[in-house]
Amino acid sequence: MKASTKSPRLTRRDALKAGAAAAALPLVHVQTASAAGSLKLAFWDHWVPAANPVMKKLVAEWGKKNHVDVTLDLLSSGAANSKLPLTQAAEALSGTGHDVMAFATWDVQHYHQHLAPMDDVVGGLIKQYGPMDPVAEYLAKVKGHWMALPTSIGSQYKPTCARISFFKSQGVDVEKWYPAKPGNASTAAAWTYDELLKLAPAAKKAGMPYGLGLGQTTDSVDWTGAVLRAFGGELVDAKGDIKVKSDAMKECLEYFQKLVPSLPDDTVSYNDASNNRALISGKGALIFNPPSAWWVARRDAIKVAEDCWTFPNPTGPKGKFVPYLPYFWGVWKFSRNQSAAKELLSWLQQRDRVQELCNASSGYDIPPILSMHDFKVWETEKPPLGTLYNYPLRPWHDATTNVSAAPAPAHIATQIYSNATFNVMITKLAKNKQSMKEVLDWAEREINGYINM
Amino acid sequence: MSGATLAGGTPQPRRGRRPSLARERRWALWVSYITLIFFAIGFLIPPYFEIVTSLKTSEQIGSGRNPWFVHHPYLGNFLYIIHNAQFQTFFLNSVKITLVVVVVTLLISVFAAYALARMRFFGSEGFATGVFLTYLVPESLLFIPLFKVLAALHLINNVWCLALIWPTLSVPFCTWIMIGYFGSIPRELDEAAMIDGASHMQMLWRIFIPVAMPGIIAATIFAFTVCWGDFLYPLAFAFTSTQMTLTAGIVSTLIHGDVLDWGKIMAANILASAPPILIYAFLMDYYIAGLTAGATKG
Amino acid sequence: MADGTTGAAASGVPARRAATRGGALHRMARRRSTIAVMMCLPLFALIAGLVVYPFFYSIYLSMLSREMDRFIGLFNYEYLLTSDTFHLVVFQSCLFAITAVFFKALIGFILAHVMHNISGRDQRVWRGLLLVPWVIPPALSTLGWWWMIAGSYSAVNWFLQLVGLHPVAWLAITGWARFWVIVVNVWFGTPFFMIMYLATLKSVPEQLYEAAAIDGATGLQKIRYISLPLLRNIISITVLFSLIVTFANFDIVEILTAGAPANSTQVFATYAFQVGIGSGNIPMGAAVSLFIFPILAIFAIFILRGVNRRAKEAI
Repeated sequence: MKASTKSPRLTRRDALKAGAAAAALPLVHVQTASAAGSLKLAFWDHWVPAANPVMKKLVAEWGKKNHVDVTLDLLSSGAANSKLPLTQAAEALSGTGHDVMAFATWDVQHYHQHLAPMDDVVGGLIKQYGPMDPVAEYLAKVKGHWMALPTSIGSQYKPTCARISFFKSQGVDVEKWYPAKPGNASTAAAWTYDELLKLAPAAKKAGMPYGLGLGQTTDSVDWTGAVLRAFGGELVDAKGDIKVKSDAMKECLEYFQKLVPSLPDDTVSYNDASNNRALISGKGALIFNPPSAWWVARRDAIKVAEDCWTFPNPTGPKGKFVPYLPYFWGVWKFSRNQSAAKELLSWLQQRDRVQELCNASSGYDIPPILSMHDFKVWETEKPPLGTLYNYPLRPWHDATTNVSAAPAPAHIATQIYSNATFNVMITKLAKNKQSMKEVLDWAEREINGYINM
Repeated sequence: MSGATLAGGTPQPRRGRRPSLARERRWALWVSYITLIFFAIGFLIPPYFEIVTSLKTSEQIGSGRNPWFVHHPYLGNFLYIIHNAQFQTFFLNSVKITLVVVVVTLLISVFAAYALARMRFFGSEGFATGVFLTYLVPESLLFIPLFKVLAALHLINNVWCLALIWPTLSVPFCTWIMIGYFGSIPRELDEAAMIDGASHMQMLWRIFIPVAMPGIIAATIFAFTVCWGDFLYPLAFAFTSTQMTLTAGIVSTLIHGDVLDWGKIMAANILASAPPILIYAFLMDYYIAGLTAGATKG
Repeated sequence: MADGTTGAAASGVPARRAATRGGALHRMARRRSTIAVMMCLPLFALIAGLVVYPFFYSIYLSMLSREMDRFIGLFNYEYLLTSDTFHLVVFQSCLFAITAVFFKALIGFILAHVMHNISGRDQRVWRGLLLVPWVIPPALSTLGWWWMIAGSYSAVNWFLQLVGLHPVAWLAITGWARFWVIVVNVWFGTPFFMIMYLATLKSVPEQLYEAAAIDGATGLQKIRYISLPLLRNIISITVLFSLIVTFANFDIVEILTAGAPANSTQVFATYAFQVGIGSGNIPMGAAVSLFIFPILAIFAIFILRGVNRRAKEAI
């Protein structure tokens, strides 16, 4: 935007940009988009088979209406499949490729210097539909600017998915805690980390230890991060100071010391497929995961699926935190067609479209715009009916979303996250039998390195 | 038996050694077979497990019942892969690019190896060493700058870019194999041919290539395997399924987030391994034939 | 055809050589280097364009700041040298690569010999069976391995329980996790060594062994005095090649353990990936990868010198 004022000759593209900045909504007139020609999108390849055709249909619909030639490439990512991050790195560095790229959790922070600001698009959506999830904001904002648009596609919570029958056998009715209808905070508060710990030995004894990992991939990192926040601990605070040696941290680590013996023996080598495997095989009483595991169980092991109930994570001394991993859509700075791209992205995140996409994904996607958490799909998915009702956060859950390593400044947090620093600490303490002091000293040194890096 | 006949053929067989020689042979044979059986079992456990898994429905796989045996083989995974247009494309892409790369690799490395083995020129030795050192620069480092190069050539998301890139994986080693083979050919041979007025090309064609046939087949096999199994480059340089090769295609279509379709992954894996196995079975005979022919040169 | 040419040419050599040596060879020699350079040109272009240029670009990249907007010289390297985790990575990379290559070479050597012992048709079958690991694309076969060993309910643990043993959390215990990444690498790479050694063994004249046998050499002596010297070059080259490739291995570790538990199986490539792509510090990731270079370059030049020297002696 600065460039356009500096340059003596106003090119047409600059004029378009200025126009885009000026108009809040619609961002760009259909006219300008149609003049522009073509767009290449790289979106996340949704694992729910039915979700991709809907996206293709919507994109084609928009392209036709606006006379833009849109190409949609779907890039998958997952265990052993790093297609999406590889492509991001390559396109960012080479300055060529798609116009729009999908970004997972931390990726916006990695590539923000290559992205066009999205303040106009996000601002417009917030004006229409109300606030975005704070975690999405934390992950997408750099120096006060939205560098990407949080999207519903692929965005997920990682709440509790528990086996109803196991909890019944321990005298607990999880459906009462979190009924498939508006509930109240007092029953929701019964699900605490103390309760989790209390039932853990019984689960292991029953041959169904919790499918909770302490490995180095995201599922493992997300839930332990939520535990730490619930104890009020953090590795690095928002100002960038190391907070490893706090009482809350020690308390939390001691909690893990007690919990780990009741986790599966291979917990420290879990990857993102391990917890699914534990649940689907019927040998895990509980996992913290989006409904993908339940969904596969519905396909392959219906008996297990019928016995699953999804609800937020336990409450700790300092509250209830649910891991949230939003996806983002960013527009590369090198894109020649930023205005059209922005218009399309904004169009795709209008409530109707989000709902259509959400339905197609069987409710897997959690829209970052909080007012969209009332879609019917979460009430109707089954079996059992209402199993996903408490998957999106409801007001009476009294829960906060969280991403591990927050609230540290992003460039430190992303390293804490990708190095699974907290999980390494737990492993050292609870499995390798190192002393609390050794572990905390190690963590301090390690994080100091991240800060200097 | 055979030990005795062979020993008999020598001019002065030492008496008393003959029975022990035969015994030693028989013993060696036993040891050989036992060793082979041991390792063959070890080597084939994972493929066996994959085959068993590929013959199960995902329900059976998830059930936790005997993972080493399948009672009611289910062919759905294989049928799905075979009839799936995407996988047919992956397969064709893999076949055509790998074949092109094998040919290109052989052309480049045979010529270069001949020059480096036989015609000294300024810096030739350093260059020969340098060729090998290219492996010190791993794929995981190269793919980012290479993306830049390919983008400049407009070859991103074009399966043919691999025809350009894969030779960097295959050529250095093949060149080294060929330098080794060419180096072992007695120099008198080419000097004589040269004096007879043979050009370098004639010499290469008439003497070096036939003699070094085992080496060339070894190089072919190597180039084929390395390219067929490569994972990172096809994953990094292609976005659409029409431009992917087998490895990248299988992983990116059958692994999504934390959902892995094991039965189909294993079936695809087995189908992806079949062509190399067939080619080996076929080429290895030539390989041995080449070796025997090479040996007669004495 | 080859034999015909060979025989005829060889017999004529001594007589004619003296007479025509001066003129013809001299002319040949002058033209020779031009032709030689021409023949090497495609190789040269390939390496310069697709390896050397990107390599130097990576060096440049490794000297940038995390945001890639500032030149920070050798800071990334200095940082790595003081990082505990990186020390662990160097240690594990060396342990992983050296152990894996040693066993690949050893087992390959043994298999090549026992294979050489048995006769034609049988050999073909065994050879085919033992080659299987090498032809399955490693990224896919490692997935199979993971499914087979990971977790308390894996197929391997199922078997252990069947015979009354306790299941083992194979990939969760540092020692076992390191063991398995090496096993998978050895499983995948051994057939390559086997086939390279077998090929070379085939070119050793059978008479040598027979003569040795008659002289009363034991099996081990035959290997020590005949096989080893003859295989020395091919062993050097395969070991060096495999060492390099194993040092740079990515697929197997990433898929099997992703570095867990607590970074104890992390090797150069996976750590570079975690730092570069995972935490978005591409320059640091490049620096990690580039650390392989000086370590192995020393090895490589040393080994290749030896190979070159022996090759010359042979001539």
